[in-house]
Amino acid sequence: MAAVATVSSASGILAMLQEPAEELKLHALASLNSVVHLFYPEISTSIPTIESLYEDEEFDQRQLAALVVSKVFYYLGELNDALSYALGAGPLFDVSEDSDYAHALLAKALDEYASIKTKASKGIEEEENVDPRLEAIVERMLEKCILDGKYQQAMGMAVECRRLDKLEEAIVRCDNINGALSYCINLSHQYVNHREYRFEVLRCLVKIYQTLPHPDYLSICQCLMFLGEPETVASILDKLLSGSNDDALLLYQIAFDLVENENQAFLLNVRNRLTSQTPEPNPDSGLAEPDDQAGNAGTGSTEPSGDVQMRDDTATPNVSAHSVDPNEVARADRLAKVKGILSAETPIQLTLQFLYSYNRSDLLILKTIKQAVEMRNSVCHSATICANAIMHAGTTVDTFLRENLEWLSRATNWAKFSATAGLGVIHRGHLQQGRALMAPYLPQSGAVGGGSPYSEGGALYALGLIHANHGEGIKQFLRESLRNTSAEVIQHGACLGLGLAALGTADEEIYEDIKNVLYTDSAVAGEAAGIGMGLLMVGTASEKASEMLAYAHDTQHEKIIRGLSLGIALTVYGREEEADTLIEQMTRDQDPILRYGGMYALALAYRGTANNKAIHQLLHFAVSDVSDDVRRTAVMALGFVLYNEPEQTPRIVSLLSESYNPHVRYGAALAVGISCAGSGLSDAISLLEPLTSDVVDFVRQGALIAMAMVMIQTNESFDSRVGTFRRQLEKIILDKHEDTMSKMGAILASGILDAGGRNVTIKLLSRNKHDKLTAVVGLAVFSQFWYWYPLLYFISLAFSPTAFIGLNSDLKVPKFEFLSHAKPSLFEYPKPTTQQTTTSAVKLPTAILSTYAKAKSRAKKDAESKANQEKATEDASGSTSSKAAKTQEKDADAMQVDNAAEKKAPEPEPTFQILTNPARVIPTQEKFIKFIEGSRYVPVKPAPSGFILLQDMQPTEAEVLALTDAPSTVAANTGTAAAPGQQASSAMAVDDEPQPPQPFEYTS
Amino acid sequence: MDPKLVEVTQLFSRFKAAFSRNDFDTCVVLLSQLKVLLTKFPSLPPSFRQTPNAVEELKLARDIYEHAVVLSVKIEDQDAFERDFCQLKPYYMDTCGIIPPSPEEYPILGLNLLRLLVQNRIAEFHTELELLPASALENPCIKHAVELEQSFMEGAYNRVLSARQAVPHETYVYFMDLLAKTVRDELAGCSEKGYDYMSISEAKQVLMFSADQELQQYITEEHPEWEIKGGCVYFQKAKETQPCKEIPSLQVINQTLSYARELERIV
Repeated sequence: MAAVATVSSASGILAMLQEPAEELKLHALASLNSVVHLFYPEISTSIPTIESLYEDEEFDQRQLAALVVSKVFYYLGELNDALSYALGAGPLFDVSEDSDYAHALLAKALDEYASIKTKASKGIEEEENVDPRLEAIVERMLEKCILDGKYQQAMGMAVECRRLDKLEEAIVRCDNINGALSYCINLSHQYVNHREYRFEVLRCLVKIYQTLPHPDYLSICQCLMFLGEPETVASILDKLLSGSNDDALLLYQIAFDLVENENQAFLLNVRNRLTSQTPEPNPDSGLAEPDDQAGNAGTGSTEPSGDVQMRDDTATPNVSAHSVDPNEVARADRLAKVKGILSAETPIQLTLQFLYSYNRSDLLILKTIKQAVEMRNSVCHSATICANAIMHAGTTVDTFLRENLEWLSRATNWAKFSATAGLGVIHRGHLQQGRALMAPYLPQSGAVGGGSPYSEGGALYALGLIHANHGEGIKQFLRESLRNTSAEVIQHGACLGLGLAALGTADEEIYEDIKNVLYTDSAVAGEAAGIGMGLLMVGTASEKASEMLAYAHDTQHEKIIRGLSLGIALTVYGREEEADTLIEQMTRDQDPILRYGGMYALALAYRGTANNKAIHQLLHFAVSDVSDDVRRTAVMALGFVLYNEPEQTPRIVSLLSESYNPHVRYGAALAVGISCAGSGLSDAISLLEPLTSDVVDFVRQGALIAMAMVMIQTNESFDSRVGTFRRQLEKIILDKHEDTMSKMGAILASGILDAGGRNVTIKLLSRNKHDKLTAVVGLAVFSQFWYWYPLLYFISLAFSPTAFIGLNSDLKVPKFEFLSHAKPSLFEYPKPTTQQTTTSAVKLPTAILSTYAKAKSRAKKDAESKANQEKATEDASGSTSSKAAKTQEKDADAMQVDNAAEKKAPEPEPTFQILTNPARVIPTQEKFIKFIEGSRYVPVKPAPSGFILLQDMQPTEAEVLALTDAPSTVAANTGTAAAPGQQASSAMAVDDEPQPPQPFEYTS
Repeated sequence: MDPKLVEVTQLFSRFKAAFSRNDFDTCVVLLSQLKVLLTKFPSLPPSFRQTPNAVEELKLARDIYEHAVVLSVKIEDQDAFERDFCQLKPYYMDTCGIIPPSPEEYPILGLNLLRLLVQNRIAEFHTELELLPASALENPCIKHAVELEQSFMEGAYNRVLSARQAVPHETYVYFMDLLAKTVRDELAGCSEKGYDYMSISEAKQVLMFSADQELQQYITEEHPEWEIKGGCVYFQKAKETQPCKEIPSLQVINQTLSYARELERIV
């Protein structure tokens, strides 16, 4: 047959539907079903006929009719109707059919089911309303996925549809249970928006974990941490305490991972529970409410604890069985170590050692800034001090300050306060020596008028910064200082300090103390008190918030209202839906300052959730509020909500960044800065670039700071725009006619760009995707610097060291090598300082200081210094291979800069690099990290950075320790003594101006 | 030969016998049996499966449906006509050369055109016309329908009525009778638009009634809104009052306010 006949119209079949005979109708329906994809427009006009067939109880092929109608509706785009008829089609609707129709309707069915389930979980009565047919379809679908081995799909659907029973089934039937579980954990963090439900999922996962023969304790403890169940964690740790050596490593690793999430209240609780050996009934062992735990932890560090039912059967018999001495000793030793880790002493000390010995901060940049800034301009002056503090955050290197004491003394009043507080940033984490270091500035109990209240207040604030989130040891002292003073500046410092030290502990007594300060109704002290209360109560969602809100309505002082509204916002940190009432209350307030606090509340309650509702609300306020402050904050708050998906932020705020309103532009800049911090994201940089040359000065300021936050630890060979940005900063700082605001921004940006001796980054998410409470809170308060410059120092809370620190079972750092499978130049420290001198030398004639002759002499000295440096580097090059590689790099750079020098053929760059423990591993580098097979140590978990416990495969051989205690003792014991040693070399440099500090100081 | 085909053929010959006897009741019963049997043939539309018997089956099915159409005219059932014609159509349109064209094709198509004209479904009439090849317009059956439609559109109603005498096929008579009524409806519609009222005698003439009773019956059946008063027919249509135009002030206010709000939100 020549031509294949096809029907051109369905009218014939439709006509057949009208026939009186049943068989004909059936035949017509069957035919329609087969041609519906071609003739749905024609059929759609006859839908009523087919529907009436479906509704006809007598008709024995109602389901077929339903299927046909459903298909027509699907083609017409009426998915709701299509779905309801597909349900009517019963078994005729084939779940496994591979057609667009089936796919679309299944998706629709899942959505529908999920949304019904979600609604049902809110109002319990509606639970019964789920259409059983819908449920049947979903279950068929899940079953099929599991049978086909598409476990991830099944898990995703089960989570989405709130079918934990099916989730469990999918996981248990999966061939790779551990993989499935970790996938689910990821899933619950990324896609489960509802907090309560996320907890349910996690609880379910923990339950499955515990049934496994070899539970993955690392993951379990992470889950439990999310759930806030310290007693279970404690019991797991306890079990591991009496296990083998491997268990001990695992134990330490768990402890380190928990510490990384920075939840002080939780950690304290776990630690306290580990303390008591004798199980005693704990009044609130059953409660999982964070408030209660926080309360426990705060009020009684001696409180008897321990979970008990579990420990009774597991740990206790164990202990009694092995009552032999060595075991007990080992156990005690381990217990001490774990407690050391959990109290964050060990990690902080290791970090301190790392930051101290790897400090690469560039004093020359600071010197340039110092010289460029006018003496009388106190804003830029204190910005410079702040930049110094940020650059040396946590390194304990205060050389710059010591060398410029006279210059420093120009800081008066609040500038003095800030300058003193800056010391706290520099010595951050210096827990043992912190108080001794600050002693000269602290208020003396006997002597009155010993120091200015500003430096005393600043010192208390500094103590808070040093002990931020680990303030067990210091809070008593801070409380006394707060009680013993009536000077509002000191109260200000003490409130901030206390808030920082007791972050999130919800300590009642401290709260009362701060509240008393608040009720003095002094503007200065009250503002700090408001923030302090917030810090104390972070994430507790306590009813204290309403107390604070009431006072905010009472007081006349804007400063106090502002402090309180931020404080209130802090209390609902991470509470998501729970905070909605409070947020609603604040955002509807008549007072713009409270609405502004409401924006922060939204930001913090929904931090890092990318919750659509929150984003929607924030965007609404960003464009519709009458107050510029509220709008600015609303846009900025987007940054907090979106920091778990940094790629999204530039897209969402891109329109806002072109707003006519400079406040909105400023907010957009900071939003990008906050959410993309430390990512070096190209989109973010492209968005910020035009803003750095905005017409309005404060927008430039915000953009510069944000840009620095994004570019932190990115070097020029990774993204060439970093170099451009550094030059831009220099230009702004040196430009006499630049506005103070943007100059300040540029100075701070230089500080942030090289923060923490170039070894820290800003991270708001821990490696386990847990939000880092301290960091988020730090950035939130930092963003207040718009009103109050001393709050700039809060940014130090957001810094986390980018280090791989491998530890052996003694928690010492053994020598261990691993691979970074990328070009070394991509991730190395930024170019050496000499380059900057040369550029500044070229610019100097037009700039401030120098005459031509001076410049010339400087150039000469430059050459000399370079020779020195080369010599120095050659000396160092013998030590390790990695150092050698770096030195060569450096050499090559020096050559490029210095044209006069003899030319060497540039060596081809290696494509990999051997790193030695402890090593700087920046976030972008993490994916290139590989561990070398067959090396002596094997990491307990294959993470590319952070604290990693290493398993020693040759325990009999002597270990070579890499990071010895030597530098730390220098650092620890001689806050004063270490500095002179350095001073000797670099003091000259500063005074004689041209000589740069020795770039390499390998104290080992 | 395929037993099913045999069965259908035998049944169909019984149908034809009854048809020639003008025993329409038997015909209807047989026809519905035939139709059910036809559903068993896989080669029929819409599947057009290629089977060895396809040609015979298609030819037979077409024949049956052609008879069904004619039968529906004979029993004066317009719904059945439409149903059967729709089912017959794929045999004309979509078989494209598998079976030779049927001699009955044009008369039946013309009949359908006429039906559409009768039912005043002019749009569909033209759609059908467009589907026909140009040569088909020469066919007397089609031509007849086309000419009728033209006269109808021109308003040359007398030509329409006089065309009854020149039908190309005996089955056309039924529809031509119906056409007269369609023409009357058209006239009534026009009069309603054109006049406020009309005297009964004029109305009788215009609507082609011979007696007053017929006119009155027509009015009560078709146009109950008309009124016979004082020897005249009043068309109520024109008296409908125009709704007074009110200024939608609230709507305008709302819209303006929302513009203002949107302007404020421009970022």
